[in-house]
Amino acid sequence: MFCLSEMEDTVRVPPDLLNLPLEVAIKKVLQKLLLNKVLSIGLCVSIYDIKSAEGGFVLPGDGPATYKVRFIIVVFRPFVGEVIAARFKESDSNGLRLTLGFFEDIYVPAPLIPRPNRCEPDPYNRNQMRWVWIFEEQEYIIDDSCQINFRVENISYPPVPTEQAEDAKPFAPMVITGTIDDDGLGPVSWWEGCSERNNEDDDT
Amino acid sequence: MSGVGEEEENAAELKIGDEFLKAKCLMNCEVSLILEHKYEQLQLVSEDPMNQVSQVFEKSLQYVKRFSRYKNPDAVRQVREILSRHQLTEFELCVLGNLCPETAEEAVAMVPSLKTKGRAHSDEAIEKMLNDLSLVKRFE
Repeated sequence: MFCLSEMEDTVRVPPDLLNLPLEVAIKKVLQKLLLNKVLSIGLCVSIYDIKSAEGGFVLPGDGPATYKVRFIIVVFRPFVGEVIAARFKESDSNGLRLTLGFFEDIYVPAPLIPRPNRCEPDPYNRNQMRWVWIFEEQEYIIDDSCQINFRVENISYPPVPTEQAEDAKPFAPMVITGTIDDDGLGPVSWWEGCSERNNEDDDT
Repeated sequence: MSGVGEEEENAAELKIGDEFLKAKCLMNCEVSLILEHKYEQLQLVSEDPMNQVSQVFEKSLQYVKRFSRYKNPDAVRQVREILSRHQLTEFELCVLGNLCPETAEEAVAMVPSLKTKGRAHSDEAIEKMLNDLSLVKRFE
């Protein structure tokens, strides 16, 4: 889920930004520094507010002005055990990959997909394997047709690689392992009949 | 240090500013209000070629808008007020506010801790809470 987090840091405002109102200049620097970065408290998605900025001294021979800034950011912070709404991104023989749009490193490995199931080549996508859950002789294909709820099982923070092969996948600083093997999890269409809800929300 | 006018505008428009700061965890609908308000500010800095960076903001906004049941600030505030009356942790409050379960059974499936930790919420109490929430939706 999303959280607010208060931080304090030293911010250097380069000379070309000093003609802007101070708050705007500091926000620009913080955005460049923090947006889309995985911090210890989560993935930073927005600078919420600047609470205070002190300093502004320019050290001799140094262009930027240095400020001690207290500010608040909005972060996406997954919790183990949290149920999160996501969409299907892709799947292969290892399992599913889900996405939130702004964050796409969510994996549901095969053992966490409800059984019985089968994995077969996707007739609509040559490069992909698709997963099908079998329940009471009905087949439920797992695809991008609706919202998928998953529960966070584990969050890992791989160390930054020192070198990467040219064709390696982009480095993911935070990886969520999720499960869809429980009540209420998986594609929401699996559960719609149960509570007889009038589903006005079109999630497709 | 910033323009006083902007602070006042923040407080008036959001109306829930102070409560946000006390709450560490936010529901998607609250984040939607926050990020929508920030959108104009992002336009100011969009001259910078940080497209990849500003993508995270836009996509986060897209996500919270799509997965929010409540849209207007009054409704959002009511939702937090209702959930706050039921001895929930910040985390439980936000998961319920995000996923909007319709029955006590669904609520417990999403937030099993409702029934554990020695403060077992009765099904009646949970149903009452969900019922109060569903009333907020109708008045939007």
